[in-house]
Amino acid sequence: MFSSFFRIIKFAFQNFYRNFWLAIVTITILVVTLFSITALIILNVISTQAVKSIEDKIDISIYFKTEAEDIQIIKTRSELLSLKEVKEVNLIDREQAMVFFKERHKDDPTILESVEILKENPFNSVLVVKAKNSEYYPEILKVLDKEEYNQIIEKKDFSDHKIIINKISIIKTKIEKIGLFVIAFFALIAALIVFNTVRIAIYTHRSEIKIMKLVGASNWFIRAPFLVEEFFYAIISFLILIAVFYPAIDFLQPHLNYFLEYDFDLISYFKANFALIFGLEFLTIIIINALSSFVAMKKYLKA
Amino acid sequence: MVKLENLSKIYQQDIVGLRNINLHIKPREFVSIVGQSGTGKSTLIKLLIAEERPTEGRITIGGWDITNIKRSQIPALRRQIGVVFQDFKLLPQKTVFENVAFAAQVCGESNRKIKRIVPSALRIVDLEDKADRYPRHLSGGEQQRVVIARSLIHRPKLLLADEPTGNLDSFNAQEIVDMLLRINDFGTTIILVTHNSEIVNSLKKRVITLDNGEIISDKKCGKYTL
Repeated sequence: MFSSFFRIIKFAFQNFYRNFWLAIVTITILVVTLFSITALIILNVISTQAVKSIEDKIDISIYFKTEAEDIQIIKTRSELLSLKEVKEVNLIDREQAMVFFKERHKDDPTILESVEILKENPFNSVLVVKAKNSEYYPEILKVLDKEEYNQIIEKKDFSDHKIIINKISIIKTKIEKIGLFVIAFFALIAALIVFNTVRIAIYTHRSEIKIMKLVGASNWFIRAPFLVEEFFYAIISFLILIAVFYPAIDFLQPHLNYFLEYDFDLISYFKANFALIFGLEFLTIIIINALSSFVAMKKYLKA
Repeated sequence: MVKLENLSKIYQQDIVGLRNINLHIKPREFVSIVGQSGTGKSTLIKLLIAEERPTEGRITIGGWDITNIKRSQIPALRRQIGVVFQDFKLLPQKTVFENVAFAAQVCGESNRKIKRIVPSALRIVDLEDKADRYPRHLSGGEQQRVVIARSLIHRPKLLLADEPTGNLDSFNAQEIVDMLLRINDFGTTIILVTHNSEIVNSLKKRVITLDNGEIISDKKCGKYTL
């Protein structure tokens, strides 16, 4: 049992070094495939974060008419807060609006003077609404379409934000589609290369295989070294990916923070999800190798 | 040992390999199968090692009906049959010892057992002293003896020799036949497929003659009559 196991490993190593350059090409293609999968995961994470960061910044402001009474504004706020789609509602009353305006333009004496000239506070009360998800804003605004609100609300708008979010979502979907196509393309190339590697390995060992069959070696014993060899390729390419991946995202990190305009730790993200992401990638590459090897062996290793 | 009943092998486009063969070879027998090229001798060998399947009829080896043998059972069958071909099928990068040991290794024998059985197989073919040599350092006859040693590694009850002397001069050919006779004396059934009339006539053993895929003669102490 153990001697057969060690012999299979030995034959697999023989396959490896007898077709050394072919092994290098196979590993290279597998590494490229793994990189394309990882790159897509990174793009997906980044685009999700970008959408999230923009969504976090989005809110809608409901401007009340001057004649709107405080009780009506508070009632509107209560109704909005009672909606399950709403995360928070902040009231900025007329005085606060004036304070904020002055604060914002404290370095512009002309504007401050022009405000002082006015006898009355020109600002109206505002409700700033944040939804749990950007998709909920149209629903929230629909609630405010009632007649009773139309009489006291001057302006409520969400259309600009909606366009931005839609654009980002479209870009995100396109990135995912293109990425999946790229992965499928490299996976196909990898499968063909592995198939060819096994085919050439079988051809190189045709004399041994002929003798093995003649003297009664089991089909499993004849096939196992080729599977083990492909398993070596998968492990080596996976180790290369890990060795290059972390320095690469370390390089990417500062550029990413600049792009997203807030701190998102990609390295920590990949560390936290290491088992899931790389486990799935390893499984993918093993499945590609195993399937290609089986097809090649079925075609070229008949009894 | 070998029983063929109404055995036929017809290839595509009605090319006849063998037709309606009925044959019974007893244990410990030494049988020569002769016939011109393309008469079905090699087809018979291929059917006996389950490399091909018959179109009709039944094949029984040592009581085992292998007519519709499963793919997974073929290795077990081949461990019970030694096969020697005209082309030596030795691995040039391995020594004589390694070539013989290879047959045992790939069938999962332990290293301890291999160290024991390989020298005894080499002893039977008188090559014990050349165990460390590579095939290129051996004569054609010696190379064929290595193949015989390899075929004996599983102590088969049946040895199939398909033109084992085809590439050898008469001296080496006779040496190989003497070796097969010696192995037959140990109790192994031998089926020798050959073109060599001199050898067949000198054996004075059973001779089966094939022509166009059919048995045209089966004589207990026959001669090469083609």
